Amino acid sequence: MKRWKTKAILCLSASVAMLTAAGPSASATAVKLTGKLHGVTLTFMIASSGTAETNADKAAAAAWGKATGNTVNVINASNFQVQLTQAFAGGSPPDVFYGQTSMFESLVKNGELLPSGNLVAPAKDFYPSLVKEFTYNNTFYCVPKDSSTLALEINVDDWKAAGLTNPPTTWAQLAADAKALTRNGVTGLVISPTLDRIGAFFAENGGSYMNSKGTNFAFNSPQNVAALGYLKRMAQEGVLKTSPQVDSGWGGEAFGTGKAAMTIEGNWIIGAMQSTYPKINYEVVPLPAGPTGEHGTLVFTNCWGIAANSKNTAAAVSFVRYLASPAQQLRFANAFGVMPSRPAVAKQWAATHSGTPVASGNQTPNVSAFVQGDAYAMPQVATLGFPTVQAAFDSQTTNLAAINPAALLQQLQTNAEALLRP
Amino acid sequence: MSLKDKPVAGTLDASASSAGRAQAAASPQVRSPRRRGPQGKGAKGTPPRQTGTGRLRRGEHLFGWLFVSPALAVLLLFLFVPILLALYISFTNWSGLTNPLSSSVKWVGLANYKTLLSEPGLYRQDFGTAIRNNLYFVLFTVPLQTGLALLLAVVVNNKFLRAKGFFRTVAYFPSVTSSIAITVVFMFLFQGTGVVNTILGAFGVQGPNWLYDTRGLFTLIYNAFGVNNPSVLVNHGFLGLNLWGWVAGPSLGMCVVIIMLVWTTSGTFMLFFLAALQQISEDLDEASEIDGATPWQRFRRVTLPLVRPTLVLVLVLGFISTWQVFDQIFLIGPLNPATITPAYFSYQISFQDSNFGAGAAVAFLLFCLIVFLTVLQRKFIKEDLTQ
Repeated sequence: MKRWKTKAILCLSASVAMLTAAGPSASATAVKLTGKLHGVTLTFMIASSGTAETNADKAAAAAWGKATGNTVNVINASNFQVQLTQAFAGGSPPDVFYGQTSMFESLVKNGELLPSGNLVAPAKDFYPSLVKEFTYNNTFYCVPKDSSTLALEINVDDWKAAGLTNPPTTWAQLAADAKALTRNGVTGLVISPTLDRIGAFFAENGGSYMNSKGTNFAFNSPQNVAALGYLKRMAQEGVLKTSPQVDSGWGGEAFGTGKAAMTIEGNWIIGAMQSTYPKINYEVVPLPAGPTGEHGTLVFTNCWGIAANSKNTAAAVSFVRYLASPAQQLRFANAFGVMPSRPAVAKQWAATHSGTPVASGNQTPNVSAFVQGDAYAMPQVATLGFPTVQAAFDSQTTNLAAINPAALLQQLQTNAEALLRP
Repeated sequence: MSLKDKPVAGTLDASASSAGRAQAAASPQVRSPRRRGPQGKGAKGTPPRQTGTGRLRRGEHLFGWLFVSPALAVLLLFLFVPILLALYISFTNWSGLTNPLSSSVKWVGLANYKTLLSEPGLYRQDFGTAIRNNLYFVLFTVPLQTGLALLLAVVVNNKFLRAKGFFRTVAYFPSVTSSIAITVVFMFLFQGTGVVNTILGAFGVQGPNWLYDTRGLFTLIYNAFGVNNPSVLVNHGFLGLNLWGWVAGPSLGMCVVIIMLVWTTSGTFMLFFLAALQQISEDLDEASEIDGATPWQRFRRVTLPLVRPTLVLVLVLGFISTWQVFDQIFLIGPLNPATITPAYFSYQISFQDSNFGAGAAVAFLLFCLIVFLTVLQRKFIKEDLTQ
């Protein structure tokens, strides 16, 4: 049925688009807001991580609607990218939607994204790395919705059983601790096999995805090769495994089911642990620094996108202002554990969640490790076509013990560079 | 990849003409997404040929067109227009985010086809791998599912078998179960420490991590005979895959999908064969028995020729549907090179890379391949021995 659905989309959406008149694309320079501020109905498409997020979005939409005299229809997409693409191709996009990094460049190039960043809030109010992610040709297109960074999660019971004391702060300690924690049926460290975890080690070793000018990729740098080599050595010792190797869908599942004593995941793990694995006693610490003492992590984010062809951009901007306001960011953070994209609010949130329950439940992870990462985190690659390039890399990282780091990164570099050619 | 969305009911009579019709109706929808809509109405789309004496009066002719016009309109709007539009898109750089006919969509000529077929790069390599995977998938799945379906039908049709209804239901059950549910169960069975590997472990065999294992079945056999990466094969290749890769056979991941598909679809095709077998008069069987034919001779010389039209139908349907396998692949993993197929690759680059132009080009190349192979198949496997 999935197959039918996806195959149907291309032609269905195409034929629908044919029947509707082509609307003019919005220019990126002059922003003219349309529609009234009161008495309009907005559509709001979300890609929710679960009930908690859906309810929080619905509550925010209802509160804004009540205060301003508007109505918001919340559409919780089951397959977000497909549904959003359909809506755009059909000429009736949602007024406000989650702007995902992978679609950002394509939306901008097609003139489908309203350059609303500065209309909502000044760029300086947000983490610079997040603003950069949603800036194209010096235009700040949409404000960052929230942020998620990677940190190291440690199973406290396993940790104590192995007789360990201080959490690892260097690569050498991480390898030693993983070794000490590995025993029958438990692997010291389990990560999801993807660039979205491995990349953190690049950053810790002084490496990066792009060169310093941001003009080309730098996947094959010596720092990155060394970082991947470090992971390979741990894998060869059997103290690092990937989630499929321990029959898990992701690092959090391996960690929650007790197959892993440590994992590397983002703050979304807090909610998953509470709802699915509430009995695991764990702690969150920043990722250990590389040999040069460099701190590194990855940041993942969405933005509040407004459709350029929306008939009610004035109301949409007002709605996004509400969603991105400090008070609402704090509400979202408390409801489902995403980090505020405003440094001031993030610090406030961290202060109230250092070792106290995030919501109901007995787990009390200290979220400051995640917030700390925002200061030095490396953003994702947003280049058009990168998902397929990354998938080719990810698919070869299932068995890290068997990889050739230099060759694998050279291949990634070659494939990624091909995207930059006109 | 179940066949429950195929026009099963309409083709149960399994006559030669129904085979032709099913194929004619099924082929164009290879590219088309309009799978469920009009295909069952395929026969209605074309007015019946005048076979009787005497011509129809002019008025009747007009009414004929009038009566079929609703079906015709649906076909045009939901089948032919989308196919033509998709063909057009395959020559453009459409991102999927605008009206495909708007001025922002650029005509790029054969560029999308070149990226897939001639330019060295990731797309060509992925496409080559997808074609290789699917080719072996078809070569294994179609004969196995057809053979198993025929075997099941012959067993169930046996007049001395008790509880026929029970066995028929058991065999048909996988076909009416959600392919998603079946895939998830198979993923559990074949995971690293799953049931299959536990059983293998009891015999001292260390099973692989099936679904993510890209090693080819044939490669493992070659390796057992000491052949590994012969330079003759490694140094030559096409579509971004060297010849050693092309002769690798189905990956272990693909073998799991093959087993799953054969198990799922053989029940459907068993019904096809069962319907055909029930048409065969018992007299023929008894006559040949009196003539002293062995059971095998009776099957080979009497039964098989009589179910030949159904056999051809099942083969054609099998070939077409196996080239379009998607749901199982979608569930097993994002761009897993062990199991990627052209249909999934088309979806991936369309929606993940916003590259609908190349996605449509993949779909059309797949369409051409299926049409070519179907024509070839019909040339070599005749429906009727008398032809």
